[in-house]
Amino acid sequence: MSFGPPVGFGGANSSSAARAAGLPHAGVPGHLQDAVDAVLDREPDHPDPEIEFSHLHPNEPPFTLRSFLWPHRWRLLGALGLVILESAAAQAGPLLTQIGIDDGIVAGNRGVLVTVAMLYLLFIAISAINSRIRLRYTGTLGEDLTRALRVRVFSHLQRQSLDFYTDEKAGVLMTRMTSDIEALSQLFQEGLVSFAVQALTLAVITIVLLFMDLWLGAVTLLLVVPITLILSNWFRKRSDASYGLVRDRIAAVLSDLSESLAGIRIIAAHNRRRHNTVHHTNVVGDHKDANLAAIRAASIYTPGTEAIALAAQAAVLIIGGRRVINGDLEIGELTAFLLYLTAFFAPIQTLTQLYNGYQSGQAAVAKLRELLEAEPSVPEQPGAAPLPQIDGAIELRDVTFGYDPETPVLSGVSLSLEAGESIAVVGPTGAGKSTIAKLITRFYDPQLGQVLIDGHDLSTVTIESLRRQLGVVPQEPFLFAGTVRDNVAFARPDATDVEVWEALAATGIDDLVSALPQSIDTPVHERGSSLSAGERQLLALARAFLARPRVLVLDEATSNLDLQSEARVEQALDALLEGRTAIIIAHRLATAMKADRIAVVDGGAIVELGSHDELVAQGGYYANMYATWVGHSTA
Amino acid sequence: MDDGYATATRFEPIGVEATQAPPGAGIDADKDLGWFRRLLPVVRQHRRPLILGLTAGAIALSIQVAAPATARAAIDAAEARDSDGLWRWVFVLLGLGVGRFLTSMTYRYSLFQVAWGVETDLRALLYRHLTRLPFSYFDRTQSGEVISRANSDIRSIQVLLAFGPLVSMSVLAFVFAFIVMLTIHVPLTFVALSTLPGVYVFGQKLRNNVFPLTWVGQARQAELATIVDENVNGTRVVKSFAAEERQVNLLGKAADHLRWANVEAIKQRAHWNPLIEALPRIGMAATLLYGGILAIDGEVSIGTLFAFNAYVLMLQAPFRMFGFLLLQAQRANAAATRVYAVLDEPITIDDAPDAVDLASPEGRIEFRDVTFAYPHAATSDRNGSGNDREAVLQGLNLTVEPGETVAIVGRTGSGKSTIARLLARFYELDSGEILIDGHRIESLTVASLRHHIGLVFDEPFLFSSSVRDNIAYGRPHAPIDAVIEAATAAQAHDFITELDAQYDTVVGERGYTLSGGQRQRIAIARTLLERPPILVLDDATSAIDVTVEARIHDALHHLLEDRTTILIAHRLSTIALADRVLLLEDGQIVASGTHSELLESEPRYVQILSEADAPDATAAPQPGRPT
Repeated sequence: MSFGPPVGFGGANSSSAARAAGLPHAGVPGHLQDAVDAVLDREPDHPDPEIEFSHLHPNEPPFTLRSFLWPHRWRLLGALGLVILESAAAQAGPLLTQIGIDDGIVAGNRGVLVTVAMLYLLFIAISAINSRIRLRYTGTLGEDLTRALRVRVFSHLQRQSLDFYTDEKAGVLMTRMTSDIEALSQLFQEGLVSFAVQALTLAVITIVLLFMDLWLGAVTLLLVVPITLILSNWFRKRSDASYGLVRDRIAAVLSDLSESLAGIRIIAAHNRRRHNTVHHTNVVGDHKDANLAAIRAASIYTPGTEAIALAAQAAVLIIGGRRVINGDLEIGELTAFLLYLTAFFAPIQTLTQLYNGYQSGQAAVAKLRELLEAEPSVPEQPGAAPLPQIDGAIELRDVTFGYDPETPVLSGVSLSLEAGESIAVVGPTGAGKSTIAKLITRFYDPQLGQVLIDGHDLSTVTIESLRRQLGVVPQEPFLFAGTVRDNVAFARPDATDVEVWEALAATGIDDLVSALPQSIDTPVHERGSSLSAGERQLLALARAFLARPRVLVLDEATSNLDLQSEARVEQALDALLEGRTAIIIAHRLATAMKADRIAVVDGGAIVELGSHDELVAQGGYYANMYATWVGHSTA
Repeated sequence: MDDGYATATRFEPIGVEATQAPPGAGIDADKDLGWFRRLLPVVRQHRRPLILGLTAGAIALSIQVAAPATARAAIDAAEARDSDGLWRWVFVLLGLGVGRFLTSMTYRYSLFQVAWGVETDLRALLYRHLTRLPFSYFDRTQSGEVISRANSDIRSIQVLLAFGPLVSMSVLAFVFAFIVMLTIHVPLTFVALSTLPGVYVFGQKLRNNVFPLTWVGQARQAELATIVDENVNGTRVVKSFAAEERQVNLLGKAADHLRWANVEAIKQRAHWNPLIEALPRIGMAATLLYGGILAIDGEVSIGTLFAFNAYVLMLQAPFRMFGFLLLQAQRANAAATRVYAVLDEPITIDDAPDAVDLASPEGRIEFRDVTFAYPHAATSDRNGSGNDREAVLQGLNLTVEPGETVAIVGRTGSGKSTIARLLARFYELDSGEILIDGHRIESLTVASLRHHIGLVFDEPFLFSSSVRDNIAYGRPHAPIDAVIEAATAAQAHDFITELDAQYDTVVGERGYTLSGGQRQRIAIARTLLERPPILVLDDATSAIDVTVEARIHDALHHLLEDRTTILIAHRLSTIALADRVLLLEDGQIVASGTHSELLESEPRYVQILSEADAPDATAAPQPGRPT
């Protein structure tokens, strides 16, 4: 399905992305396709955004609704002017009706009636034109603000260090970037301005009612306003509470369903179909109950205000009607009064709804402020210099580090690699192997000691200049939605096809890729699941190869592979390691043996260091590991 | 046979209390009926609130129509200086207010009760059906698609059920009001209502113009979400290659695209909405002019002008909503079609009418001339990738004796995992038969068969609940001692006791707070807890350290003694556990014997093993490399 100009990686894959995002009605129905195509045809080319990114935290005031809107105060003031005009023009109707009745009908003057009707039409036209301008104006302003906010929050996310991105947080960050920003967007576009429109309408009507007849106006307002306020306030509180519950419950329904689908094989294998069906029935039933509680409140509120409106009408009719009978009030005034009264209730209902939007907007502001105040744990120093072209000599000098500083994972570790040397790091799970890789890539700073490349302390250089010269292959080979080419050329998007093929050949998957339906332009789907784990890992290796790093870090890049892929990866390693400094965090000995030297890490320290043969001869931990492995292999 | 899946059976225990009623009926099985006719059995379960809601609604709308007429009478009484008439009509109006409140409240709540009841039933029905569908369905269906069926499609049906009766009744109210107006003054009625058809027409125009833009906007929102999702989950790659600025620009571009679609939609709304708002007001202005002239001539009263104004305001609503209703009906139709497509999906793997329970089997397994191809090429199973209907197993014969441990060795794609899946009857065979203790598996109840087969998959999927609940997944009532025992055998007890809340630790979404090896160990414990007489380990230790694996194997050795065990493996350390090794190639067993026998006699076996992590010449350190 075509969905217009590709947006970076997302283009070719938008429909599946929409599906994955669980958006309503994702996928264009057939009868809309033509209309959608027509829309896309008239879309102009958008220039590249050219947004600058810096690891340094920009100097911005804390994020509040006020600070965010302040730079746009004049545009907002302009919008307010339009709103005042619109509200005033819209409320001319009843007043004109009154004049028409009293000076036209009762006085029997057709000329007045015609003039009044013409004025009526004029005010309708003014109101409509005004409303059109105002909607475009505030809508565009809202979209501009939203776009700016999206870029600001996303840039801030990019500035955070690796430890910020915990698994539990992934969903939260997604919510901040999508629904929270959208809640604010709603507020910018409709909320604030509608709020002003409705509040002004209410004010205008109140003034007119009192102006027309002070006594009747005051009595009516006294009868209507307190009870309406009480009812609205009750409803607002009830619906706040119920919709909070509804949101939690629908989240529970969706997560239960999606987890069940993901684990459907386990459900079948462990005979959990009945248990899970009962559980899901409970979950969806609870969701229904929460919704019905919210609806119960609304079912009292809306008819309640309607009933109050009728009661107010009755009150005006009896008080006003008796005065008409006594000759104190014109019949036209009474009619106009009733018309204004009808118009009085709509804004109250709307304001109550808007208040909910305002609250969720404020909640979103608070959440976004908290996010925007997060500081990266591995900050770039304000005066950091770019790291010059490196040879690749690495040194860990007396490094102590723990994710929790109280419990160090590495303590006093020193290790040095010459440029071009490869070293494998092995050891039991949790001994700190991967931590060494994360320190060299400066995903973390050591608590004590230094990490140096070519004699430069990593904490004194800019993050970008350092990482540009490193190539990292992690255990879980993450692929982006996009084509094979996009993924391999991730580090250097300007790479030529020849270079991409070179990288694929070096890692031994050129034959595999050329067998794909669209060769290197084949899209890889949802986190690369259309490729096997091994194929994904090979693509990740090709990606690192194309980056032409001076230093290569393989962080358990060969675990979780099937036989054939593993064999290919082992071969690819030779090409990758050629002439590079390399740190190979390995949990398979076959991988470790590729390195010049092997370091055994245990209990946060390097306990053995030397070539394969030396370590086997030493008869220590490594020799033991090797013996177990060989023993199992030939048993 | 169908008890709604709400009661526990011997092999399918239920560990939660049912606090909500299961759906009382499913959709009509006759696929030729219209979507609403098919839904009727479900709707009928909620007929009491439906009837109540419709009755109350009819009264409420009559009151709505009566109110302006009453106010008109009161105004006219005031004008005529008729004090008694004024009081009378004001009291009627107050009565109408009270009646309106009660009926309006009742019909709103009742109709939503019906709509939500049907939505909830459909969700439960869909889930129940999904749990019974064969694996082949999930191989060819993306989970996002199913979720969108369960979410937005069912919601579309619900919205129609909630608003359909409301809007239909307000159309009815329109007819009432129209008649009332006609009885007052025919030409004035047409003048007053003359602009209302425009409300509908312009509303349709607005919808037609905004709709494609909304779709584009939604798709772009999804694109933006994808970029965020990837940058959160792939943050390590982004940082490793210093791609932050490029990603920020990528997002900026996506945000620009989204902004454009949204602004275009805003422009359409800004164009049409003021027109739609203006039309009823024009009707009111016309009423004032024409009605005023009529009033001067004494043909209508001033109260009539008020009443007509009120009717114009009241009647614009159905004109606005009618377009929405038509659209929602279309949507609901399409949505129902998609939901029913899932509900109509046949349950191909189910108990035969005369199926018997498999009771304490000895564990003799026999595959007789089994041929099998995955029903769809687009299968997530690695073994199934390849051309359409390419047979994975071709006339496979194999026998495993009770208590025997057999390793199946073969290349990727040779069909190893398929054997495990067929044994537990996750797929139907194309030909041949599989027997357990001499019973064809199709003659056994599915639940009893799976109860006795413990299958550990290569991908250790965990649910986001506590470690204990995950291990006790198949036996929700298992006591903690049994859970600990199973965890200990799977070498998981030690790391579990180091977790924050030990066995009560909630593992994150899909268990990703644990390492791959830890997840595999919990998955093994989950199966061991059920003490299945037949155990199948499908590459279940691939992510586990060599040393830990050795310990698990020792424990398994102990546990497996009287069990029939099939090990699907590529690690030599795993294969070494087996009494007998079967070599699988091209969907057939090509060799069988002990590991050492095969090493000596079978060059293909040696070849496959040498591609593994064997420390032979090809994988040894190369002395020629510079150091």
